[in-house]
Amino acid sequence: MKEILKVENIQKYYGNKDNITKAIDDISFTVEKGEFIGIMGASGSGKTTLLNCISTIDNVSAGHIYLENEDITEIKEKDIAKFRREKLGFIFQDFNLLDTLTIEENIALTLTINQKNANEIDKKVEQISEKLGIKEILKKYPYQVSGGQKQRCACARAIVSEPSIILADEPTGALDSKSANDLLNLMEEMNKQMGATILMVTHDTFSASYCDRIIFIKDGKIFNEAVKGEKTRKQFYNEILDVLALLGGDVRDVR
Amino acid sequence: MLEMLGKLSLRNAKRQAKDYIIYFITIVISVALIFSFNSIAFSKDIQELSEMMKYFNTSIVVVSVIVVLVIAWLVNYTMKFMLEKRSKEFGTYQILGIEKKDISNIFILENVFIGITALLVGIAVGTLLYQLLTSVIMNIFNQPYKIQIDFNLNAVGLTVVYFGAIFLVALINNRRKIRKTKIHDLLYAEKQNENQLVKKSKGNVIIFCISIILFIIALALTKHTFRDGNTISGNLVLIAIITLIIGIYLFYISISSFIIKRYLENKNRKYQKNNMFIFRNLTSKINTMSVTMGTLAVIFTIVIIGCDVAMLMNGMLNNEIDMGYTYEIMISSLDGDFSRYKEYIEKNAKVKEMYEYRTYYVPETGIIAGLTGSAFEGGKWYSEDDVMKLSDYNKLREILGYENVTLQDDEIIVQCISTVQKNFEKYIEENNTLTINNKQFKIKEVRGEDFAQSSGFNSYIYMIAVTDEVLEQLNCTEVGEEEAYDFPYKLVVQTEEPTNEEFYEDLRALIPTEEIPKVEEIDGEEYEYSYERNLANVKTRGKRMSESKSFYTIISFLAFYIALVFSITSATILAIQQLSDSEKYKYRYQLLKKLGVEDSKLNKMIFKQLFIYFALPMLIPVIISIPATLFIGNIFLVGITIEEILLNIAVVLGLIFIVYGIYFIATVVQFERNINEEMRG
Amino acid sequence: MEILRVENLTKIYGKGENEVRAVDGISFSVEKGEFLAIVGASGSGKSTLLHLLGGVDRPTSGKVFIDGKDIYTLNDENLAIFRRRQVGLIYQFYNLIPILNVEENITLPCELDGKEVDKNKLEELLKTLKLENRRKHLPNELSGGQQQRVSIGRAIINSPAIMLADEPTGNLDSKASEEIISLLKLSNKKYNQTVIVITHDEKIALEADRVITIDDGRIIKDEKN
Repeated sequence: MKEILKVENIQKYYGNKDNITKAIDDISFTVEKGEFIGIMGASGSGKTTLLNCISTIDNVSAGHIYLENEDITEIKEKDIAKFRREKLGFIFQDFNLLDTLTIEENIALTLTINQKNANEIDKKVEQISEKLGIKEILKKYPYQVSGGQKQRCACARAIVSEPSIILADEPTGALDSKSANDLLNLMEEMNKQMGATILMVTHDTFSASYCDRIIFIKDGKIFNEAVKGEKTRKQFYNEILDVLALLGGDVRDVR
Repeated sequence: MLEMLGKLSLRNAKRQAKDYIIYFITIVISVALIFSFNSIAFSKDIQELSEMMKYFNTSIVVVSVIVVLVIAWLVNYTMKFMLEKRSKEFGTYQILGIEKKDISNIFILENVFIGITALLVGIAVGTLLYQLLTSVIMNIFNQPYKIQIDFNLNAVGLTVVYFGAIFLVALINNRRKIRKTKIHDLLYAEKQNENQLVKKSKGNVIIFCISIILFIIALALTKHTFRDGNTISGNLVLIAIITLIIGIYLFYISISSFIIKRYLENKNRKYQKNNMFIFRNLTSKINTMSVTMGTLAVIFTIVIIGCDVAMLMNGMLNNEIDMGYTYEIMISSLDGDFSRYKEYIEKNAKVKEMYEYRTYYVPETGIIAGLTGSAFEGGKWYSEDDVMKLSDYNKLREILGYENVTLQDDEIIVQCISTVQKNFEKYIEENNTLTINNKQFKIKEVRGEDFAQSSGFNSYIYMIAVTDEVLEQLNCTEVGEEEAYDFPYKLVVQTEEPTNEEFYEDLRALIPTEEIPKVEEIDGEEYEYSYERNLANVKTRGKRMSESKSFYTIISFLAFYIALVFSITSATILAIQQLSDSEKYKYRYQLLKKLGVEDSKLNKMIFKQLFIYFALPMLIPVIISIPATLFIGNIFLVGITIEEILLNIAVVLGLIFIVYGIYFIATVVQFERNINEEMRG
Repeated sequence: MEILRVENLTKIYGKGENEVRAVDGISFSVEKGEFLAIVGASGSGKSTLLHLLGGVDRPTSGKVFIDGKDIYTLNDENLAIFRRRQVGLIYQFYNLIPILNVEENITLPCELDGKEVDKNKLEELLKTLKLENRRKHLPNELSGGQQQRVSIGRAIINSPAIMLADEPTGNLDSKASEEIISLLKLSNKKYNQTVIVITHDEKIALEADRVITIDDGRIIKDEKN
């Protein structure tokens, strides 16, 4: 399968001469097209920073990140907006929908900026909203719908422009268990049926169990990796817990 | 794409107007004020009211510039504020891949929508306001006025230009900010800690004490420099102002830690009635707002003192008219021939009373000592004392409706202006005799009724009346042409109706003149020239009233204009701060509700918190302006009493409090409404 | 001794076609000192039920008796007072007042009442909750687990009739979750505090004395562990 994301020896420092924090300390990995990959770690481990660097929210201090062979770290300021809207899709923990636009308009926004023609946009929005089960709320505003529905819209927005990769930052963080469940199933569908490549950062084992592969980060370095392969979700879930226990240092049997 | 951006901008603008409605209203009010005032400035009707009113025009334009600067500050501040609050939204735009320049455009377009709407509504309101203000002015001048919809394009143009400039500058400023932002900061802006609690340094208490000392110094300097009209030193005033400003900033910077230390350390009060919650809320806010509060306080102090002084001047002028222009027409002449004036007067006015007489001078009798301790001490520049015959004196009194007085040949009466009456009475307690021409006279009494003395007509400040017989015998001084304060022969006239400016001009035109040749030596060179000298003085109450009304109108309106604008601007800034907090920290209040706080208690807490917050920037201005005005007012005591000064202070403060108070109430209401939205867990 | 009794509690949202019966005729009672878990899927009505039990929200019909008192006969003002004295509340999110430190957050119910704080009780609580060294810290200086510990402290300080916790471990990782669960158990046993926890987490349900399962606003199971 094609390699879609390549992270090569990246490092990220904060602070100045007297007080340097190394948030990311030489991380390298690759993501194949169509993979659903999870990044896990305790708070402060660097996982959020990693996501920020990949998503162009932050700059690396050293190293390279290639998305579809394009070096993210070398993109000029004036080209970065274009890059974001064409190649990246985002799902945030707090949805980040624009509250002065309807759901439909929120989803269509990236397409509009990409200058697709109106008919094409309408068609795509309709298709995706049907697939994600939000067709009835297209004309509503974000404040009128529930958290679970908002997150679906965020997903729709993320996938409708067919980006190279979808980046999700603790997407279930603000949801109750049922909605979280629904969302994860949805993301699985996006991945398996629609072929979306998804990179998700999470601290929640349950969410992580939906991934094909998990990369564990500790102290800015890759600590371990877990691959689902042929296992069931429940088995993978337990495997993840084991690794986390190692990560946490405490051995507690929480099964 | 453009359509989408336009849609986004328009909707954002609508939301902005709704969320920041108090700000929007303030802008509308400002537009209305500027428009109506500038319409007045350009109004022919008003300019024709009096000679002086043309100064109104110029001063309104000047003051408008100041007002525009203040509004510009407000707009800039609010825009910056709103931008910060919407950091996440702008971060989202960026992350979705909207170009930075398009994001700027969205922002610009939003504000253009808001600005244009505010402009249109403001001009509409301003038109009504203009009508109102014009009728008030007309009323002051006793002129009839018909309401007419008259649209002054100049005023519209000027208003549009002003506000266009304001928004343009603010937009350019903030657009630069958008360009410079880093997306990471935008998205994570909220997670940054706003709540630094009290800076725990002992230093703050010291700073607080220093600020109090600076206040005392500033006030002392003011008192010192204004102790009389001659000692005012521009430098000292400047130092006082600078000291005051520094003191104010230090005060507000240190106040939050001071509140905590003094108030909360007291364990008893800590647990009393939710004080903890309120005070922690306040102190974290005051910390971040200390510089803004300091600025508001500085502005208010200056505005209040300025208005007070303006009102004092008004008051003084009014009193002066009463004291100095007791007769409608007062003419003094070198010779006793008033025929030309009488002819005009009889033709052009309905005469009620008319009287001719003269006053005399005697060498200094020493009675001037009665001025000791008064505002006029050392203020008379000729050494002779004025004397009047009893018969003239009584007739003049009769015209004014005062009772007759009687005198024995060895008695005199002192007639002076009311503000020095007490001083003379005090003097007389110890020295009740007077020597004129080596003869001793008993001072029978001091009278202080208004007698055309502050204008210098019937003597300046004080005069002496003696019986007709005594006057015949007195050796009077012939005061030389150069030294004469006023001509000795006098004519007074009371008319049925007040006279106008034209009347005055006509009378003046009748004054005869003579050419006086002069030779002056400058730098060893001799210069020959001549000048025209008037041989009579004409004063009319009508002209004086007209001048003073103009002055009064100009000063009052300008003071009202500035004070109003500052009040609404400051109140708006405070309101915006608190209301946006109510959105952000809604959940704190809702948590309290869930934990078990009664609605009434919560509302009381909110009221208390907002009250302290609004009152704080007013605290120093009120405390400082009262003594400062009293000290400055010292030089006005020539024409105004202490009670009147205090009354003026009360009126100015009262008006400001009312406007401020309205904003305060509006904020409380909106705050409570924000908190009570969606109580669902 | 019966500390809580619920009689035919119903809460309906909306009207006609859009009518939603969040809680539909629920009745049960709880003895003092019980540790009760109410489980159910999201949308089953458990959060609504929690608010009705705590006097935060008024029912459409039905009664709730806490310590013998029919709480919904009280007007809003008195209900609020009752709540702060007799109900301890713990939520999943936004639990603490961010500008007050640990100690102040815990003693908040006393502050609201204008009452003096029992110093001994406070000290003891801080020790039990392992927060002694953090008493002056602000919430943003604490981890999620520590914040929840503070909430527990706040919920107990007044020794309320019932403590209600809404998904208290929902936002925590497994280690912190465990800590919270054991602290809840501890307060239950040590102070004989009646604890009612709303949760979807089976682990908590296992720790409770009794589990009531709710679905579609109704009780479908009521078992002792």
